[in-house]
Amino acid sequence: MYVEPGIHLMQGDEAIVEGSLIAGCRFFAGYPITPATEIAERMSRRMPQVGGVFMQMEDELASILAIIGASWAGKKAMTATSGPGYSLMQEGLGYAVLTETPIVITDVQRGGPSTGLVTLPSQGDVMQARWGSHGDYGIIALAPSSAQDMFDLVIRAFNLSEEYRNPVVILADEVIAHVREPVKVPPLEEIKIVERRKPSVPPEEYIPYLPDPGEWVAPMPAFGEGYNMLVESVMHDEFGHRIGTDHAAAERTIKRVYYKIEKNVEKIAMYETELMEDAEIAVVSYGSTARTSLRAVREARKLGIKAGILRLITLWPFYDKIIEDIASQVKAIVVPEMNMGKIVREVERAAKGNAEVMSLPKVGGVLHHPDEVLSVIKKAAR
Amino acid sequence: MATVRVSQIAVSDKLCKGCYLCIWACPWNVLEISEERNWRGVKKPIATKIENCRACRLCEYYCPDFAIQVIVDEEEEKKLLEVEERYEKPWLRRIEKRNEIVSRGVWWLES
Amino acid sequence: MIPESEFENVLAKKYMRTEIMPHAFCPGCGLGIIERIILMAFEELGWDEWEKTVFVSGIGCSGWVPLYFRRDAAHTLHGRALAFATALKASRPELNVIVVMGDGDSMGIGGNHLIHAARRNIGITAIIATNMLYSLTGGQMAPTTPEGARTQTTPYGSIEPNFDLMELLKAAGATYLARWTTYHFMQAKNSLKKAVKHKGFAAIEILFQCPTYAGRYILNKPDPRDMLQWFKENSVPLTVAKKKDPEELKGKILVGEFLHRTDRVEYTEKLKELEKRAKGG
Repeated sequence: MYVEPGIHLMQGDEAIVEGSLIAGCRFFAGYPITPATEIAERMSRRMPQVGGVFMQMEDELASILAIIGASWAGKKAMTATSGPGYSLMQEGLGYAVLTETPIVITDVQRGGPSTGLVTLPSQGDVMQARWGSHGDYGIIALAPSSAQDMFDLVIRAFNLSEEYRNPVVILADEVIAHVREPVKVPPLEEIKIVERRKPSVPPEEYIPYLPDPGEWVAPMPAFGEGYNMLVESVMHDEFGHRIGTDHAAAERTIKRVYYKIEKNVEKIAMYETELMEDAEIAVVSYGSTARTSLRAVREARKLGIKAGILRLITLWPFYDKIIEDIASQVKAIVVPEMNMGKIVREVERAAKGNAEVMSLPKVGGVLHHPDEVLSVIKKAAR
Repeated sequence: MATVRVSQIAVSDKLCKGCYLCIWACPWNVLEISEERNWRGVKKPIATKIENCRACRLCEYYCPDFAIQVIVDEEEEKKLLEVEERYEKPWLRRIEKRNEIVSRGVWWLES
Repeated sequence: MIPESEFENVLAKKYMRTEIMPHAFCPGCGLGIIERIILMAFEELGWDEWEKTVFVSGIGCSGWVPLYFRRDAAHTLHGRALAFATALKASRPELNVIVVMGDGDSMGIGGNHLIHAARRNIGITAIIATNMLYSLTGGQMAPTTPEGARTQTTPYGSIEPNFDLMELLKAAGATYLARWTTYHFMQAKNSLKKAVKHKGFAAIEILFQCPTYAGRYILNKPDPRDMLQWFKENSVPLTVAKKKDPEELKGKILVGEFLHRTDRVEYTEKLKELEKRAKGG
């Protein structure tokens, strides 16, 4: 049923499919788009084998609504797309946020704007992932750097989405999606999987959008279980009823969908550091850029420059504290990105002027060469 | 002469919006617009000629607001109260529960 | 005697969220009659059917219809109700999925989802509430606005012909089709009962009176009673229409059961078949 434990040579797009099936994903809806098509292709083959449903929808607008529908039918559900499709999905993303629906969206980033660089990588959707849909909300976005990450992070993404009843975005890019690498699949019993919490009270006592004291989200029943859910896209109160001009109820709803993510950043945030103990120059990087950055940092060490790397795995919610800590330790932070400089703004904000922040943008659909990163590290060390 | 005797045609003060589709629908001119406005400002229809009513219920069927009901006898009155007790009342209690929790202040609004 | 101050009709007490009523529709709005058609159908289908029924709706006045039912309901995005419903049905084929959409919702912004749901022949019952314009936003032209009609966005008269939903869905592959008006509540209820039991994509178009906008702008009948009278006088049953020539039928509303096909296999049944093949069984 699932991929055997052990080491497999897998494409990133394949690894994410196998990971999601193990995480419990039983519904996939998508629309073909380069470079995420392989995910849909493999899903169409694998999903029925595990008793799930694969649907090729008529467009991305339908794809995201379909996975929200499947989630309310009680299934864990995912879609995969790239920039243009992700833009279309923003309306559905907002719906999932306000109705607190756990879904996972994989955005295999390609160069934009518009149809853009169809087959080439980019990290241009980073800010869209945070702010793409209208209104105020919290979102979780994870950035894989390898095929192994695709496997591990999709499981983490499903777990987070169930725990916080929120959409989780996996911000992969073309390089990670198409790279073929060894992926280690651990034995099933070693993989932590979070299942959906169901209400324990009878339907007449259940208040759909009012969490128990100290919790951030209420348990979530599926459709057809007698709880008479109201999945309301209009601003609603604790019952899901439209509230019109009840400002206090609107404030309660908006603040909860915002804070449930932002205030739990310590629990959600993941990162990796290497050579940071005595570093004077830090490279802050994520996604495939982190791979070239690591090489550059190692080269810098050979030259006697005390460089280290922080790889952000969780991009959103942004973990200010780790940047604050690093800024107080190093004299400069280098931020290479495959865009015109996006996460660097967050780094600059969180560094609070304690270290010089140097942006290293790269557009045109090509990875940074390690030498490019190295030359900026050298400049920072001078 | 009507063969049924209708005991009451109930028109809700809460729900009636005064569109008078019931009056349009009634083939026996049972209903008339009342002269006085109720607390919602609606001149709701009243059954001035209830003796003409044959319980065809067209007024009920065409009422978009679930505001009117022909109550033929005590049997129907009893059934109505049973439905209320069994299907409606259990769901109304949670409103008080929510209000109580919310009035104490919810934790995510603090700080 | 039952006190009248807080009175609700027995159907409302049994099936509806009376705590949020009266509903937000204008006085005389036909959407309330559509709600009643749905509830009357389920009163006859039985509580067991009701318990496995879920509702999905889009945006617009019509999107509010199922929100007053004490049942699982999703008020989705403008035009996207069918996408949500498709996944719901595919994941839980045992549920009756009823989608309530308006004309702009289903044929305007959601036109693509509508034809694809019909093409898949997925077992959804779509109730398409047609009032001939966009009413929640204040009376603008919709895909169903008759040519020549004046609305807020067609002050010189509409130059666009309107959709014939029945023909559209017939071509797209739907397997049960009916059109009624709120005047024909009993026929609509019977069609709905059939549609719920039907295996395949079923669509029922119900023309309803919007006295506030369609009544004032298109028909010059701001009174709901006049609109229902107009529905009564201007609708022609299909059986009668067959005997008339097309000239006579201009401007009339054809009502009746347009299609009932049983030769196409329903989508979720094909899904089950596919799963068997994938598992090598």
